Amino acid sequence: MRYTAFTSYDIVLLAQGLGVSLALFLATTIIGLFIGSLWAVIRFYRIPVLAQIVAVVAEVLKNSPVLVQLFLVFFGLPAFAKINVTPVEAAVITLSGNTAAFVYVIAVSAIESIGRDQIEAARVFGLSRWQILRRIIAPQAMAFAIGPLTGLLVNQLQVTSLISVIGVVDLTKIGNILNLRTLKPFIVWAVVGGLYYVMAKLVAFGGARLEKRLRAHTAWKGL
Amino acid sequence: MISVRGVRKAFGSATVLDGIDLDVHSGEVVSILGSSGSGKSTLIRCMNGLEKLDGGRITIDDFDVSRPKELSEARKRSATVFQLFNLYPHMTAVQNIALAPVEVLKIPRKQAEADARTLLDSVGLSARADAFPAQLSGGQRQRVGICRALAMKPRYLLLDEITSALDPEMTSDVLAILAKLAHDGTTMVFVTHEIEFARTISSRIVFLDKGQLVVDLPTAEFFAADGGMAKPRIAQFLSKMRKD
Repeated sequence: MRYTAFTSYDIVLLAQGLGVSLALFLATTIIGLFIGSLWAVIRFYRIPVLAQIVAVVAEVLKNSPVLVQLFLVFFGLPAFAKINVTPVEAAVITLSGNTAAFVYVIAVSAIESIGRDQIEAARVFGLSRWQILRRIIAPQAMAFAIGPLTGLLVNQLQVTSLISVIGVVDLTKIGNILNLRTLKPFIVWAVVGGLYYVMAKLVAFGGARLEKRLRAHTAWKGL
Repeated sequence: MISVRGVRKAFGSATVLDGIDLDVHSGEVVSILGSSGSGKSTLIRCMNGLEKLDGGRITIDDFDVSRPKELSEARKRSATVFQLFNLYPHMTAVQNIALAPVEVLKIPRKQAEADARTLLDSVGLSARADAFPAQLSGGQRQRVGICRALAMKPRYLLLDEITSALDPEMTSDVLAILAKLAHDGTTMVFVTHEIEFARTISSRIVFLDKGQLVVDLPTAEFFAADGGMAKPRIAQFLSKMRKD
């Protein structure tokens, strides 16, 4: 009977799982944001061949289940490309690619929402394409994109729970282990769900703060 | 000198500019008149390299705007003020003005921003220097647009119907600034519907109709009964504009 009781070490286990989930979320968010933004820039400059490849890859990634992508990477890479990947590597590759695909879509629409008149003005004053991207497009595109990006990241945080199926010991996996040992699913999954909820609220709070800062120029302060 | 030679421009099957020849010399104020769709704004867009020419050649101080390697030099010599201001909404008035001097002319940021504040002061906007465009009225935005162009210390100022989005009071504020610039000897190419103002400040008036240059005359001659007014199309245009 004592085997099914909660112990103080369970808190350590939950903290470890939480740490793994958070680390994977942060790593795949950074990689996904970088790759997705890069793809959007490739599309913005209409770089031949690359722009078409990026569009197809993004289309496939955002229209197929993450779990299927995870299995294809974890089992497919060793089988077809003779590349062995650990569960964590497979998780990083899959979640980064999936995040990148959605970041690409958001970034493209954010860039396209910027008036061409501003870009023309910058061109006639002699700014280079890189200067226009850095000083005119990127700051405004970020302000436009931050709302949808926050929503995406909250969703991607929940999606990290899928990686437990290939053996990554994240928060969900720890929850599964504790559930099997204690046989108290309602308590275990309520705690695990609560931790995901707190993390999601923190991401949403950070996004809202950043959005307010980035959109300061739209505030009307009177003449 | 801005030299326009045999310029042709078409959008699809519609010819917008058809063999335009025009010279703008240093110190001149050249007003371009014509009804909507006559090609006035397209001519300005061709001069600043925003539109690719289908024929002919435009040079600014001998730099050909059609050649990518020469376009940047041509653009350093001219600056454009736009009809709808085209300010960068995420930057304050000062930042809008200082951006190109910092990025293109490589002027230190502090210096560029100090110059921007001086320019804003000269157009009566020193109190709004740190406001974003959304916090400015139309007339104030256009004055920032003029300062942004002047900050590049251009030899030629290209102005594309810059008062058409303003109410009469704001228009008079902006025109007063242009009159001062003209008085100071700034070279300007001025697309406008403000006939009386064009008459006051222009050294020459060019009239476009259906993409063709109808006349290019000194201002007094353009308005003389036996000059530009002798052309039925111009007389009709001026009569209509004055009624409006």
